[in-house]
Amino acid sequence: MFYLTRMLGKPVVDAAGETIGRISDIAVATGEVFPRVTSLAFLGPGKTPFMLSWRKYVESIDDEKVVLNATKDALRFSYLQPDEILLARDLLNKQIVDTQGMKVVRVNDLKLSESRNQLRLLGAEVGIRGILRGLHPALETFAERVARLFGKTLPENIIAWNYMDLLERDLSQVKLSVTHKRLHELHPADIADVLEQLTPAQRAKVFEHLDNAQAAETISELEDAFQAEVIGDLGTQRASDILEIMDPDDAADIIGDLPYDKAEALLRLMGVNEARAIRSLLGYREKTAGGIMTPEVTCVTEDMTVGEVIEHIRKEASENESLYYIYVVDADGRLEGVVSLRDLVLSEPDTKVADIVTRDVITADVDDDQETVAETMSKYDLLALPVVDETGKLLGIVTVDDALEVLEEESAEDLELATGASREHGPLATAWWLIVRRNAWVALWAVALLAAAAVARSGEACSRLPAACDFLVAAAVLLPIVLRAADEVSSRTITELIDTTPGGERPSFARRLIRESGIGAAVALTAAAVAFLWVEAGGTATGAPAALFALVSALAVLVTVFAGSALGEAALRASDAGKTPPSALLSFAAMLVGSVAYLGLAYALGAWIELG
Amino acid sequence: MARTEAKKRVGLLAVLSVIGPGIIAASAGNDSGGISTYSVAGARYGYAMLWMMLAMTPSFAIVQEMAGRMGAVTGKGFAALIRERFGLRPTFVAMMLLLTSNAATTVAEFAGIAAAMELFGVSRLVSVPVAALAVWMLVTRGSYRRVEKVLLALSSVFVAYIVAAFLARPDWGVVATSFVTPRIVPTQAFLALAIGLTGTTIAPWMQFLVQSNIVDKGISVKEWALARWDVIVGALSANVVACFIIITTGTVLHPAGIRIEDAGEAARALAPLAGQHAELLFSVGLLSASVLSAAVLPLTASYAICEAFGWEAGLDRSWSEAPAFNGLYTFVIFAAAAYILVPGLDLIAIMLVSQVVNGMMLPFLLIFMMVIVNDRRIMGRHVNSPLNNALAWTTIVVVITLTVVLLGMTAAGIG
Repeated sequence: MFYLTRMLGKPVVDAAGETIGRISDIAVATGEVFPRVTSLAFLGPGKTPFMLSWRKYVESIDDEKVVLNATKDALRFSYLQPDEILLARDLLNKQIVDTQGMKVVRVNDLKLSESRNQLRLLGAEVGIRGILRGLHPALETFAERVARLFGKTLPENIIAWNYMDLLERDLSQVKLSVTHKRLHELHPADIADVLEQLTPAQRAKVFEHLDNAQAAETISELEDAFQAEVIGDLGTQRASDILEIMDPDDAADIIGDLPYDKAEALLRLMGVNEARAIRSLLGYREKTAGGIMTPEVTCVTEDMTVGEVIEHIRKEASENESLYYIYVVDADGRLEGVVSLRDLVLSEPDTKVADIVTRDVITADVDDDQETVAETMSKYDLLALPVVDETGKLLGIVTVDDALEVLEEESAEDLELATGASREHGPLATAWWLIVRRNAWVALWAVALLAAAAVARSGEACSRLPAACDFLVAAAVLLPIVLRAADEVSSRTITELIDTTPGGERPSFARRLIRESGIGAAVALTAAAVAFLWVEAGGTATGAPAALFALVSALAVLVTVFAGSALGEAALRASDAGKTPPSALLSFAAMLVGSVAYLGLAYALGAWIELG
Repeated sequence: MARTEAKKRVGLLAVLSVIGPGIIAASAGNDSGGISTYSVAGARYGYAMLWMMLAMTPSFAIVQEMAGRMGAVTGKGFAALIRERFGLRPTFVAMMLLLTSNAATTVAEFAGIAAAMELFGVSRLVSVPVAALAVWMLVTRGSYRRVEKVLLALSSVFVAYIVAAFLARPDWGVVATSFVTPRIVPTQAFLALAIGLTGTTIAPWMQFLVQSNIVDKGISVKEWALARWDVIVGALSANVVACFIIITTGTVLHPAGIRIEDAGEAARALAPLAGQHAELLFSVGLLSASVLSAAVLPLTASYAICEAFGWEAGLDRSWSEAPAFNGLYTFVIFAAAAYILVPGLDLIAIMLVSQVVNGMMLPFLLIFMMVIVNDRRIMGRHVNSPLNNALAWTTIVVVITLTVVLLGMTAAGIG
């Protein structure tokens, strides 16, 4: 096993045993899965660069040196061939695309292996081991030992040559093996994943390799935030060509995010029909049926025959996004019924459409919330849902891919709501966030303790009202009861937020309050008991003051629960209005109210006892 | 009528949109470390350090321009360029330098937050943990972009120093001659302050920030011709404010013999303008500038380090996707905040020392930059002009000399 970083700088020794230079680079032939090393580059005296054929001149290689089979004078130098790449110059320390893991990574080292006197490139090391080894080999050994101590291994992260795509060097001139996967040969969804990890300049380079159809699909797959940016960076003519190929609803989404001037320029370069379709879509609000529909609908009239309809589809509608349903409209474009592709195929060509049409069509209103649309489609198992205006005129259809996207978006929003995590993905991330969110009260508690300690230590305030200070500190210590109650109340509200669709049925505020106060009373009683024991046993107060403190504690819990319910109600109202507050904010506010109430009441009680 | 109004608004927007990466990066540079260093410079030595500002302004503009040019030509960040040009070990050294300097400055930001809040009577035991949590949430929840502009606007209250300077009625003749008369006081304190002044004016992290801003905006070589002016004007305007801070404090505090031991004394420089509200004005500015930079600095370090080592980075990446990125900035934020909680710390001294650390790290990062920006294989025909080289190398040599002299004096116990 050889590593490039270890080989660089090692002496090159000729047949006579004379050191003639030091290794500066190694070239490989790019045509194979495990590319053969073809040339050796080294720096001779005075840093003059030389290159030799590996096959002709290299006798042997070990960890310390490269030995040649000829003397200095017998060497014939060669040049870099077009199908060769230099490992140190083109790969080491450079960014590459891992086309299997869909990641952009940096090459820390290159691993080579010798078999039957042939040195071959096994792959690029992109993991932490390469970094450690590069810093110092002892570091790698050390880290390995530490890992073993914990029963783990330090895995090597090697990317084989056939799964690399170079960002720096254009390999399009180089003949690559059949198995070599280049970035632009991947599925557009995978290309999109990688593009999001690149800088704008690198992204532009990748787009040079994509044809317009690929580019259009890739852009559709990008996250919304990147779409407008990528289109904005492309040349106007190309951007317009690409948008033209895209489904009009996707194109309209992107154009809607562009600055006015740019959007106009792009629309003007497009074909008349495409531009009109996009313009008509731009008028609808986002996140409604109108915002996600496509105007490409296959429409027929009742008096046509099945044969005519099929002919019509072949001629006029072959480029439409969805062909599974054919909609029947009257002369004014009002939706009358639907015919499925299945009905058409199973009917005789001379059957009238009127005989097979289903008149009971499920439709969406143009202003309907996109989530409602998606739910309707999933409920009735529809591949497309027609969108109509208030007069029943057919405006477009929402296709199943857009509906799936909506559902994904909405469930991400719900998850975000539940965990307080924004834009987080993956089970581990969620779990981590849950821990943080679940333990936010610890942070608040710490702050309250610090504050109470600061007040108690500051002296002046405490020397006047020692009892108030004692109660304040006691309340700060017992604060978790209140904080947990607040968290509990708000998390119940959040569950409700997720379970109910906006505007759906919910228990009234009064009923919620009654339900919460039952739980609140139980917690309050516990709090009172704990508080009484705490101040009695701790010697802060005895008898009546201790009982009063217990009462205050119970009161604080009740205030918290009521405040939490009220906040929850406000949150639900806000959510009905379409503005869902983040759950972390909700529980934080409830906790804050609870803490202020408890600390304030405790201090007031102390002051009252002190001042009589 | 309505049409002209709409047109006007577009015009204003166009102007605002020109305020680009350069100006933002440069004004973020006037952070708590900067404010305190300039204030102390003016209070202790009057106008004596003004000439340094004049001498430093061209270097600052040129260094920022170099960073921006590298971004525009290569489309890569500074850290990536260091890695690709120098390999692993030097990159590791450079990243350690950046991390140290950024962590030190983040400590200064939290010191700024603590000092500003103490003016309102809030204990640092409360303000710093709350601020750390708030900053961390700002960054992780991605809402940083939304508040960035607000904080930037608030921190621009330091423009008030320009007004305050005029109201303080300094002897403009003396001020003008101070700009062109080099003066050096041969004490450790003066030398340290001089290094700090360099470190805060040409802060290392600002080069990383301006370059990555240029790269992320996708500014190409062609657009660079325009963008470079944004960068240069940003650098100049930041330094104008800095000069006025020195002039104000030099006029108001220096004659009164106030040496600035705490933020309240620094705030008094604004008294000619704001009277009894000087403290409020000062603390609002200090607080917002500190919060802004406390979010920016750990992020800059995190991005640069991940870029250098090829780790996944980005605010939209989760902990399992980008553990190093998330771990780094979280560590820097909370470690810096925790450091401020050590009892009995002198906040102003911390802000000063952090800038001295910055100043000492600066020349080494600049050397990396100089090699890259003069490498024809990387920069093509956009390599440095001889004038650029001369100015940048002068800065490097001067700061290294100052550092060596300071360390020598400290070791020998002189001054």
